Amino acid sequence: MIELENLKIEFDQKSILKNVDLKTDEDITILGINGSGKSTLAKAICGVLSYSGTIKINGKNIQTTPPKELAKEISYIPAKLENADNFITVSEFVLLGRFVYKENFFAYSEDDKTKVDKALKLFNIEYLKEHPLNSLSSGESALVLMAQALCSDTKTIIFDEPTANLDPKNSKTIALHIKKLKKTKQIILITHDLHLAKFIQNEVIFIKDKKLLHYKKEFFNDKILKKLYGVEFNSMVLKYD
Amino acid sequence: MIKSTFIIISLGILILSPFFGAISLDIDDILTLDSISNNVFFSLRVPRVIFAFFAGGILALCGLLYQTLFRNPLMTPYTLGISSGAVLGAGIGIKLGLGILLFGFTFVGLFSFVGAIFSIFLLLYLAKFLNSSSNNTLLLLGIALSLFYSSALMVVFYTGSPIQNDTLIRFTMGSLSILGYKEPLMLGFMWVLLVSVVFAYRYELQIINISSEFATLKGVDVKKITTVLLFISSLAIAMLVSISGPIGFVGLVVPHIVSKIYSTTINHKILKTTFFGGVFLVFCDTISRVIQTQSELPIGIVTAFLGGPFFVYLIILKEQK
Repeated sequence: MIELENLKIEFDQKSILKNVDLKTDEDITILGINGSGKSTLAKAICGVLSYSGTIKINGKNIQTTPPKELAKEISYIPAKLENADNFITVSEFVLLGRFVYKENFFAYSEDDKTKVDKALKLFNIEYLKEHPLNSLSSGESALVLMAQALCSDTKTIIFDEPTANLDPKNSKTIALHIKKLKKTKQIILITHDLHLAKFIQNEVIFIKDKKLLHYKKEFFNDKILKKLYGVEFNSMVLKYD
Repeated sequence: MIKSTFIIISLGILILSPFFGAISLDIDDILTLDSISNNVFFSLRVPRVIFAFFAGGILALCGLLYQTLFRNPLMTPYTLGISSGAVLGAGIGIKLGLGILLFGFTFVGLFSFVGAIFSIFLLLYLAKFLNSSSNNTLLLLGIALSLFYSSALMVVFYTGSPIQNDTLIRFTMGSLSILGYKEPLMLGFMWVLLVSVVFAYRYELQIINISSEFATLKGVDVKKITTVLLFISSLAIAMLVSISGPIGFVGLVVPHIVSKIYSTTINHKILKTTFFGGVFLVFCDTISRVIQTQSELPIGIVTAFLGGPFFVYLIILKEQK
């Protein structure tokens, strides 16, 4: 469940969102043109950007919830991982998803490590286990990031442009995984990939002029798309089914 | 293979170091009470080696810590102006009362401790006005303060007498000459405290090392942990600098060497870096005792002579790739 009340976000002294209200526990896809504030909104929801107004995740106000509790509610999967650690391996990295469940000052438990193995198996990337994280291809790291998010056991997962760096085949793999995750998690998908958005079939929120336009159904028709994006659409082809 | 050789050599250095120095020891006499060899060995050499081991460990660990927290491979506590603050404090202490003791501590030691602590608090206070995410600004602030302290030190030099200035110059070069076990005990306590706290936060540091935004997303209270670690490490550095003066290069070179030998994440490098930092300084100190000029060679000069070229080599090696 995500609740936004009178949300206002400024970034670099530029107003991004104004007087935004939303309350939903549906899966949603957030669309919008470049710079409309999709990622900014996502990051604010995850508690890494400042804002005014109220944001609640599963009933918890994120400003008053300690980071550790918040990370149990929501995971954020970036399009690309900025990683400064040259030595961390895939399994060590996925294990970080269990950090919030680890007892303070102690090592990760065997149970945590079993969860990592399971997650790697689920995404068919066990063979990457001992590989350095920095050596992965975009397709591989997308799967690793998903495995980590799954290990965090959060009710809500935000995907921030999951297919932005991927070829069609890898995009399809990711799309199928996201669709599977929809059964158990609340998925928030941010993307420019309309094929993906159409395939995932979430309610759509389009960010325009600092406001959220909520489309519960009937988003993917050429007229609406033309109005929002300002270019001609010719009956989008569905690739992933 | 390389790793075990390294450890054996290190243990050899630690054990053999007390046997080397300006006064050659009579091995048979070391265990004879009240002999010169016995006195030199147990009241000078052994405490000095212990002190050097703790000092090197603190310097190396703080180097590793700062390089991680500030995401800058050239970062050491000295870069933030803590040592300049300590030296300025020492300078004022020397000017006000050279040789005066207060509660068993020298005026110089007390003032440099206060100088280091003051520079840390000033830095942390000014950091409150910064955007919390920009660590580079903090670095810039540290450098600015450092330059300011150095200029203030020039004033102390300008107005000082030749004797005062000579003492001050020697302090800035660093020295590990101590007598007895008071300093090793004090620093040992600090060492235990620092290593325990850093080790307790090893997994948080592992996540922070990826990126601080990522760490926040994973539930790490980055700001709190940074403040705690910065405070405790600065305290350790302040105590060390007030006793031995600034000793450069250990915090820079040792973490890089350990990273080269052990290709692993920071949580596995905390104890290793501390250990090898200690060994490195004991080794440098042994050299400074063996090479005799008019008196022993200041330790800061030895670490710079060994560490400097090695560091240049590391940088060139890295850029070649």
